[in-house]
Amino acid sequence: MNTAATCSHCWLPIGRLGQAREVNGKTHRFCCYGCCLAYQVHHGEHEEPEAASLLIRLGVGGFLAMNIMVFSLLLYSGTFSAADEWLAGPIHWLLWILATPLLLILGGPFMGGAWRAAQQGQVTTDTLVSIGVLAAYGYSAYQVVLGSGTVYFDTATMILVLFTLGRYLEAQGRVRAARSLVPMLAAERAEVRTVIDGKDTTQAVSAVQPGAVVRVLPGERIAVDGIVVEGRSHCDEAILTGQFEVQPKAPGARIHAGSINGAGQLLVRATSAGTNTQWVRISRLVREALARKSLTGDMVDGVAAVFIPFVLLLAAGSLWFWSGRVAFDQALLTALAVLVVACPCSLGLAAPLAITLGIGQAAQRGILIRGGGVLEKLARLKALAFDKTGTLTQGKPELATIVVNDATEREVLWRAAALALASEHPLARAIARERAAWGSAIPVAGEVQAHPGAGITGNIDGEYCAMGSRAFMASLGWTIGQGSMKADAEGNTVVYVGWRGRARGLIALSDPMLPEAAAVISALRARGLETLLLSGDREEAVARVAAALNIAKWRSELMPEGKVQALQQWTQRRGAIAMVGDGLNDGPVLAAASVGIAVGGATDLARESADVTLPLGALKSLPWLLGLAARVRRSILKNLAWALGYNAIALSLAVAGMLQPVIAAGLMAGSSLLVVMRSLRANRYPLVAVVFCVLGLEMITPVHADHARLQQVNRAFEAWPVGDYALTDQYGKTFTTRRVQGRWTFILLGDTHCAERCKAPLSALAGMYQRIGGTKAITTTQVLFVSFDPQGDTPALLQKYLAPFDSRFIGATAPWQTLKRLADDLSMSARLPESPEMVSAGSKSYHGSLLLMGPDGTVRGEFLPPFDVLLLTAEYLKTRARK
Amino acid sequence: MTQYLLLFLAGVAGSFHCVGMCGGFACAMGSDPRGPVATLRRHLVYNLGRVMTYCFLGALVGYLGVLLVGHGGESTPASLAQRALAVVSGLLMVFIGLQFFGFFRRFSPGLTGVGGELLVPALRELLKTSGIAAPLAFGVLNGFLPCPLVYAFAAQAAASGGPASGFLTMAAFGLGTFPAMLMMGGIGIWWRPGFRQPGAVPVSLHPARGAVLRSGWRVQGMRVAGGFIVVLGLITLARGVLPMTAHVHGI
Repeated sequence: MNTAATCSHCWLPIGRLGQAREVNGKTHRFCCYGCCLAYQVHHGEHEEPEAASLLIRLGVGGFLAMNIMVFSLLLYSGTFSAADEWLAGPIHWLLWILATPLLLILGGPFMGGAWRAAQQGQVTTDTLVSIGVLAAYGYSAYQVVLGSGTVYFDTATMILVLFTLGRYLEAQGRVRAARSLVPMLAAERAEVRTVIDGKDTTQAVSAVQPGAVVRVLPGERIAVDGIVVEGRSHCDEAILTGQFEVQPKAPGARIHAGSINGAGQLLVRATSAGTNTQWVRISRLVREALARKSLTGDMVDGVAAVFIPFVLLLAAGSLWFWSGRVAFDQALLTALAVLVVACPCSLGLAAPLAITLGIGQAAQRGILIRGGGVLEKLARLKALAFDKTGTLTQGKPELATIVVNDATEREVLWRAAALALASEHPLARAIARERAAWGSAIPVAGEVQAHPGAGITGNIDGEYCAMGSRAFMASLGWTIGQGSMKADAEGNTVVYVGWRGRARGLIALSDPMLPEAAAVISALRARGLETLLLSGDREEAVARVAAALNIAKWRSELMPEGKVQALQQWTQRRGAIAMVGDGLNDGPVLAAASVGIAVGGATDLARESADVTLPLGALKSLPWLLGLAARVRRSILKNLAWALGYNAIALSLAVAGMLQPVIAAGLMAGSSLLVVMRSLRANRYPLVAVVFCVLGLEMITPVHADHARLQQVNRAFEAWPVGDYALTDQYGKTFTTRRVQGRWTFILLGDTHCAERCKAPLSALAGMYQRIGGTKAITTTQVLFVSFDPQGDTPALLQKYLAPFDSRFIGATAPWQTLKRLADDLSMSARLPESPEMVSAGSKSYHGSLLLMGPDGTVRGEFLPPFDVLLLTAEYLKTRARK
Repeated sequence: MTQYLLLFLAGVAGSFHCVGMCGGFACAMGSDPRGPVATLRRHLVYNLGRVMTYCFLGALVGYLGVLLVGHGGESTPASLAQRALAVVSGLLMVFIGLQFFGFFRRFSPGLTGVGGELLVPALRELLKTSGIAAPLAFGVLNGFLPCPLVYAFAAQAAASGGPASGFLTMAAFGLGTFPAMLMMGGIGIWWRPGFRQPGAVPVSLHPARGAVLRSGWRVQGMRVAGGFIVVLGLITLARGVLPMTAHVHGI
């Protein structure tokens, strides 16, 4: 797995099962099928054959699916009943013919994904969907070949359609979340309008070289660093500096890549190569940040890896459990629902969405967060440690005084300036500035060595000189000197300068505090965070700042190693602590903290290694940042809770057999949609609409429930009395229908040549006899099989026919006229052939008709296929109880 | 049977509205370089896809309508719920029909609504491909674009009493839109080969098509469509309101 890769569509990390696709000549990697779909649909301009073929797939698949659904609907609603019954068979075949290409068109990607996962020894939701759909399809095909039963091609169809739709919606959700980041992420691929020989040419930003002239139109995002040559406008640089006020730009003003141009057109001369801008660097950082898996992401991945096999086991278990208790196809549907409803998708989505949004929001203010894990750590902080110089202070120290021991001020400053040139430390730069102000030439120091956070040593005119903090002088073994040298410089920052073994002067610099520092510190304390001040400066200076800002704990005169130690001690005893510094001189210190925050913008490689970079002057954003981290964490937890809760409830319902597979698929798609909507707080697709759709699905699919969960009874001719007829039973005895008085009689019509249509009810009745055998009901129940083939069916044949079922069954026949009158009474004569001769050739639609007669000799209703022992028994007992 | 004829005519009338939104697509799909027969086939397949979507929707809402008012196969003619459905359906149709005249505009859903934005640019890609599958897919997806005309007839289908009749209702309506859409596709004008650049939106038009697109014609056409829908709605309403014994002829 490539941990640094992001999906080309949604910019989120590619999980274990990313797909690589060749798109328009470039290899793109996608994190999932949905993103693959969505990318191609939306980048149609660039990938003509791909996008078109994908949409064709969707469109043709949709066409087939709709046909399947229409015919299935017609079947369910009983449009083909009675006279048109023969149509049911051909329609089943038609459904199979339509479903096969559909399986290939829409199901292909899922099955391909499952296969790829299987090759890596893993199971994913693709596996679940594929197994479910193939099971439904296979079972239905089997039923079609057998010529009996209900088919579930529409279930398989709807599942495929809903899953494809669900994947597409998820991908779109991710794209929307990253929308605010898109211009940033696309920085390297931006195009600019270069003016060459007076004509505008469009170029990629990577082709821009220093000195090129670029035209920037109003409202455009500027893609180059440069200086305005012509034109006036205002630029919005918030994304770089965090300042929301627009900056006026006139000829000679500096332009930064990434800012947005205002209302005027500008001609800009580039000062750096197109890909060498801070904007491009930021873009790379953000892309890396998105690719970094967060801690939650890793945890969720681990959970998903266990969850899916668990679901498979659960589905198999449900199938095994229910197939002993209900009809097999109902058990199959239950297992299918279990497979389909389990959706680790929402688990997997919960964290990345919220994190992407969080990173995007921070980026809008110029704050760069280096990964989702950082946001999580920020939310769990217990304390923040601050560096003093440049972080809490303005970082532009000014010379206060020079106190010398046994040298002139000039000598001290002269040497200090020479050494200071080699350091980026604000104190050093201040000193160098000061010396330059005096005007004399600054000597060049050789063999300069900067000791970060401590001091600088070098060779001036052959003398070994050093400049730095008191601790540094002590570490060199140089004495500070007495007298005036020890003079307290009123809490200012003091830098000692020495040569030839002794400190010979000190330069006191005053570094005023940032005005917002006090507000920031109190805001942090209001959040319940502890604050710590770590500085290499003198004790008095540090104490003064700490007192002013109300920081309870502080340590002074620390070398970098000391700061690191202090942080480690704190972490050990108290918990997560962040370090806020300028990132230039305290790289290792920032790295030692749980979160390293660099203030000052990511203009330096040193700063780039910090976990978070705030733009220059953005200390005041710190409370906001912590608030963001807390919000993101809450959002992730809520999403996770929702996803887990949904899975728990949905799985329970599915295992209990209360969920139809199509509803399950709808719930799955709906859950993904809901997680996306929650994260985006989108108002355009109200929750109500989603619930409505799921309810709508619920309405369509209970047909399966009705057909399979209830014994269908037609009570159209209830309470119709049946006259008395004399039949001859299988033992040659006369059977009068008066014998039915006082008993509940099942009357089954057919003849001994009747195969499936009579045997099914007979075996169901035999099973029912078994079940009620020990109860009182059995004594008042009887089964009468009436054969409508008096010539062909002798008593012996009847006996032989009924023997395998139950010896208590009565088989009887009678002369044709008697049978016809009986059929009239039973309202079955419409189904009979015209004459006995036509019995073998004519319509067999009366075969398998099962009626129930009550003890009073009236018909109670006709039981309709399919016949299931349990359901039949239940319905029979219910009818008995109703009297 | 006369009912379906009425629906067919309503579809013809309503297709003036179709011309506005979907006509652009048909134009852009243009003529097939392989000649008039291939062009005809293209457009027929496209419209087949579109009408199939409508028929599916019709069957679906027809089925839902039956579900709402009682189990299919056991519907008693005088069922109160069925009549209530007819009333609601009729009112909805009258409402939508009046929208064509300009009333109640505030309540109309965005015509080029939500799904449209997503699909339309992607759909344009399909236009450039050759073969049968592309126009079919295009038609199918096109049929799902939101359209008040479709909603009106779907309301009719819902009250029609079953998925089969719902299917036929929308089929009649869909077939009614065939002539106008085929014309927009340039079928009637295939004596001018090479007229269209595939993929370009029409700027200069053949006079007949231009006339149709000109606002005068369109507004009239919309009014006619609206009128038909209002009439159909009133008939459906009557079916629900009047007692069953007063059988309205032909419905």
